[in-house]
Amino acid sequence: MPEITKTPKTSHPSADSTRALAVDPVWAWAPYEPDPRQPWDMRRAGHLYRRAGFGAAWNELQRALADGPQRTIDRLLHPGHQAEAFNRAHDEYELSAIDPAAASSDTLRQWWLRRMLETPHPLLEKMTLFWHQHFATAGARVHNARLMQRYLQLLRSHGLGRLVPLMVAVTRDPATLLSLDVGANYRSRPSENLARALLEHFTVGPGAFTGQDVREAARAFTGWSVLTRQLRYLEHQHDSGVKTILGQQGNWSGEDAVRIALQHPATAPRLVRKLYRWFISEADEPGEALIAPLAQLLAKDGDIGKLVETMLRSNLFFSPIAYRRRIKSPVEFALSIVRPFETLVPTAPLGHALNRLGQDLCEPPTLDGWEGGQTWITSATLLERHNLAVALLGGGEPFGDKLDPSALAEKHGHHSAESAGRFFVDLFLQGDLEDAVREKLLKGAGTRPASPPSAARYRQMAQAIVTLPEFQLA
Amino acid sequence: MSAVSTRRVFLKQYLGISTFLSLAPAVPALLGRAAFGAFPREDRDTILVVLQLAGGNDGLNTVVPYADDEYGRARYTLRLTANEVLKIDSLLGWHPRMKGFARLFAEGHLAVIQGVGYPNPHQGHFESMRIWQTARLEEASSCRTGWLGQAIDSVYRPEHAQVPALFVGQIERPFALSARRAIVPWIDSLRQCVMSSMPGADAASHRNWLTELAAAERSARLNPMLQFVQQSTLAARATSRRIEAAAETLGPTRTPDYPPFHLARMLRTIAQLIRADLPIRIYFTELGGPEPGGFDNHAGQRDNHAALLEQLSESVTAFADDLRRANLLDRVLLMTFSEFGRTVRENGRRGTDHGSAAPMFLVGGRVRGGLIGAHPNLTELENGGQRFHTDFRRVYATVLERWLGFDSQLALGARFDPLDVLTT
Repeated sequence: MPEITKTPKTSHPSADSTRALAVDPVWAWAPYEPDPRQPWDMRRAGHLYRRAGFGAAWNELQRALADGPQRTIDRLLHPGHQAEAFNRAHDEYELSAIDPAAASSDTLRQWWLRRMLETPHPLLEKMTLFWHQHFATAGARVHNARLMQRYLQLLRSHGLGRLVPLMVAVTRDPATLLSLDVGANYRSRPSENLARALLEHFTVGPGAFTGQDVREAARAFTGWSVLTRQLRYLEHQHDSGVKTILGQQGNWSGEDAVRIALQHPATAPRLVRKLYRWFISEADEPGEALIAPLAQLLAKDGDIGKLVETMLRSNLFFSPIAYRRRIKSPVEFALSIVRPFETLVPTAPLGHALNRLGQDLCEPPTLDGWEGGQTWITSATLLERHNLAVALLGGGEPFGDKLDPSALAEKHGHHSAESAGRFFVDLFLQGDLEDAVREKLLKGAGTRPASPPSAARYRQMAQAIVTLPEFQLA
Repeated sequence: MSAVSTRRVFLKQYLGISTFLSLAPAVPALLGRAAFGAFPREDRDTILVVLQLAGGNDGLNTVVPYADDEYGRARYTLRLTANEVLKIDSLLGWHPRMKGFARLFAEGHLAVIQGVGYPNPHQGHFESMRIWQTARLEEASSCRTGWLGQAIDSVYRPEHAQVPALFVGQIERPFALSARRAIVPWIDSLRQCVMSSMPGADAASHRNWLTELAAAERSARLNPMLQFVQQSTLAARATSRRIEAAAETLGPTRTPDYPPFHLARMLRTIAQLIRADLPIRIYFTELGGPEPGGFDNHAGQRDNHAALLEQLSESVTAFADDLRRANLLDRVLLMTFSEFGRTVRENGRRGTDHGSAAPMFLVGGRVRGGLIGAHPNLTELENGGQRFHTDFRRVYATVLERWLGFDSQLALGARFDPLDVLTT
């Protein structure tokens, strides 16, 4: 029985809800079970696919409706051997496509976008993207595409795994050390950059550590350097003395420093809040009581996958508190246009377009990553979203006619403009459009429509839908 | 300010009155819902245009100490004589191809800040440019944001859905504009500022249809996030329309008023955007291209440099004249910078090498025209270049604080005393 302070007036998932201040945590994280007031319908299925992936094609929505929420989530979490095989094959393509001497991340970006589109495991790519902006290693500071590729592979292999191995691996990742400008990290001159990044950005966060903690943690990391693009550990350059980091004293190594930082009581809640923002809502700040059970879960064994699973399966996830309460990042915006067409588009121009929308994959602006939320939306970026939609759906350069709305409508049995229009609203928005707006949309641009309707008319309809305010919400 | 008049300001700011009239049934309810609170009009509407000169401009042959014998000795093939220069006073004169600058200077709209640089000058292009872009010295290479990016971040409010800056040019967006939160856009033509239309559609009716769809009232149980995106979408559409309208009134891409230079095209675009009355406070453009930059003339400097100076002078003058005609020059301040000056002595290849101090130019309706600071002498040198006496961060502080009304200490990481170069 849902217990929130203000009961939504209807079961419409986007009904105005209370700020999530006094939500019962027990109800919030308990597994969602469909009932008449919170039915399992196309809206919730679409929501799941937007959050756990990059949007859904029609068949995926239909299958999800048939399977129910928990089985669909099972598949999103554990897609099976085909996913592993896919990722291994993709790793090979990437490796052969990337020139070992290449400094630019352009090719890598292209391949990553392609992987996001084709993967049988979109949740894993979503998590890779999450960690990418958490650790914020930037290609322009690394100057080596192969190292960036290995960094992304690292994030992918640990992204739904456990925190300690993930974090230790990142602190030993050459791309990350180069991006942080760690340089020669000698006993006589410890570099503080990694230590500061670990404490301020990766784990406990600002205000939970002191300058002394940074200096001591820096000593723990001495000996680890990147020389000629390879990670090297020089035993004699490591300061093996006693250090006190975050109140813990010992002859700490870099790995110990990571463990200490992860165990600090500020870390788990901070990471949970970030994931809350990622999966649940950017619209409001969750209260401590709501975060606490998940923080405890994460602190217990650092199991990221279990935490994500709990969030996705929960009542809160499927409630009005989460529904349409995120703004699509540029990547999500573009891919949620492309995926329903069940085809690929050239991802090189896509990568450049996403840069104009504010998200240059592989190049987060600072260690704070991309803030997301309202910062994705400005006059300039909305203009770019509009123009990207025209480029993707208009049938011209640079994407060609890979995305063909009239063919898509025909494929799913819609042979009139009106029927196709309604289908597109269901496909792209799962019907999340007020009747009056829908009618205006279906009427078209006002000029007398050609009969039979031209392919251009279908394209205009699709472009109009993806530039609606509703479509910008995840 | 009363609710009615604030709403009017909002309309003027974002929709334009004519647009308001055409959307009349849809708009008022939308605006009634805290819309104005989200988009307040700024107190100031001054505009800064930053012009990057890449490669290291030879200040000595720009503002020429023609009467200084040492100049003649040091620049034995490159010297400009008293007869060639456009005289400023008994010591200095403009390079002969800078007629526009000479005129602006005589009119009092151009200030030359002499001897600008920073302590322990770095003479590598990348490193010194990074210093100018970040306004940091030792921390320049680790800094992830630029001085303008930091200034923009300090005033940017995500709920306003506006970033008050734009790069206009064909190179990669300069590091100065790198920000932590704000997404600073870039264009190379006005076409990229307007919403393109779908093939097969009548552009005007299609555009109106999309605007009506965005403006259509959604029911009372609104998701605040949806409301935010809806308002922002309307503002974006209105902005696009305003830019189109401003461009339409100006005729073909090359009017007789602007010379046929790349820089002139960029400045003309900026002038059109300024006319469109957008909430953009900072424009950034460039001359010289990507690193190392066209001003980097180690050999055969004479003609190359002369051409660049002519492009600089005539393009900026056309821009200033354009703004003056539109009664906008008082709102605009253009500032040039370069990563260093050149060596005083020629290098034996009819060129010059990397120096340090050089002049910065300020152009605008509220500039205290004239020479600011002494001309650095040609005998007390630092690594072959002139010694600076004015730290460039003071010039940055001046434009941030005195012109834009922004917090300069946040952007520059420390306090720098502004110069008295503006009449406001």
